[in-house]
Amino acid sequence: MIYNAVKRDLIIASRSGGSAFHGLIFFGLFISLVSISLGGTNDVLNPLSPAIIWLAIIFSTMLSYPNIFQEDFKDGNLLQLKLSGMSSLDICIAKSVSFSIQSIFPLLLSVPIAAILLNMAFIDIKKILITLIIATPGLTVYGVLSSAIVAKIRGGTFFIVLITSPFLIPLLIFGLENMNSATEIKIFTTELRVLIGLSLISTAIGLPASAAALNTNME
Amino acid sequence: MISYLANPNRYLKLSKIVTPFIGWATFLTLLTALYYALVKSPPAVEHGQSVRMMYTHVPAAWCSLLAYTCLTVASIFSFIWRHPLADSAAKSIATPGLAFTFLALITGSLWGKPAWGTWWQWDGRMTSVLILFFIYIGYLAVWSVVAERKKAARLASIIAMVGFINIPIIKFSVDWWNTLHQPASISSIGAPGLPVEILTPLLLMSLSYSIFFMWLVMKGIEKDIRNIKKRKSIPSALTEVENV
Repeated sequence: MIYNAVKRDLIIASRSGGSAFHGLIFFGLFISLVSISLGGTNDVLNPLSPAIIWLAIIFSTMLSYPNIFQEDFKDGNLLQLKLSGMSSLDICIAKSVSFSIQSIFPLLLSVPIAAILLNMAFIDIKKILITLIIATPGLTVYGVLSSAIVAKIRGGTFFIVLITSPFLIPLLIFGLENMNSATEIKIFTTELRVLIGLSLISTAIGLPASAAALNTNME
Repeated sequence: MISYLANPNRYLKLSKIVTPFIGWATFLTLLTALYYALVKSPPAVEHGQSVRMMYTHVPAAWCSLLAYTCLTVASIFSFIWRHPLADSAAKSIATPGLAFTFLALITGSLWGKPAWGTWWQWDGRMTSVLILFFIYIGYLAVWSVVAERKKAARLASIIAMVGFINIPIIKFSVDWWNTLHQPASISSIGAPGLPVEILTPLLLMSLSYSIFFMWLVMKGIEKDIRNIKKRKSIPSALTEVENV
């Protein structure tokens, strides 16, 4: 059931004529705008590059959050899934999986390219990829939660940003701190472990909460 | 006791009697506290006269946290038992909570200038209070945006509960971030070492703030129940018009 729902989401995304790439294009635009505004010299950009990439990732995922539920609400697909016996929690799990595949995974793939543009060292690219992969569940689940809450509101993007930003702050902090403390030999730093914990906590809280929000909106 | 009061009409009756008392209690405690804070309290050794800022700042910060805790309790009641009165309570707790958080930020900034020489410092406490402020705004935004009251109450209560679990995590992470970035962090006056003549007005002030908060909440619930009743009567008025 979950597998089928994920598959359906991915097929729809692949046929949507490029809207799946919006987040990716935004990611590129954000990085170039920040580089231009900071003057474009390597001395300035290099120490800031992890922060720039993290911000770009967070903003471009936020841009794709509204898509998680809004369309399916409008055309009644969510109700159909519900009627066919899928519980709200299952729907949320399916949506989380499909969101991380179609929105976050392409971003992760493009992180090395962005890192090269910002002249990051190879070891830094490795570190930032590891932290981003570990933070993916957190990034996904809070998006699913906020999207489930504002699913029925027209123009809910602003509210999604407002609701999710405070919850994403711990991920941002520990993701960036890990860049300072991790080394070639010591990959599993305290920060990385805290980040794993944060992702687990967010999944444990966020999925039931988004299922409850979904139920409320479908009542 | 709670289930007895949970009836909106009974609550309105009780509130009519109790709320004015609480209002007067606020007034009296605030007067005494202000007398102690402005007249009797000596200027502090390090801070001079600007210590009086503390009497407005610290209670506001405490009340902002107290309000969030109350908000979560009301949200749990509203989420599990779907009680309309709990919805009203949560809604009328959040607005004063937001105001107290804002007050804490503003007075903290005003106090920071003479005490530390800067309006704002990205230190752990300030940053986490600022984030609390945004969480309050997000909570209230859901109330204002979702048209249907029951849905709004339920969605907002979900946000409040998730936020309550997240606030300690955010606080912890901001502290972590802060200690890494600013090893020479500025600490405020140590709480255990406060002399009695400063502690007395502070506690009095906190008491009056809490009573004031209670008064605001009770007034808010009262007004909210009246609003619901008014809204309920609108359709019937419309049908009368149609019948004519």
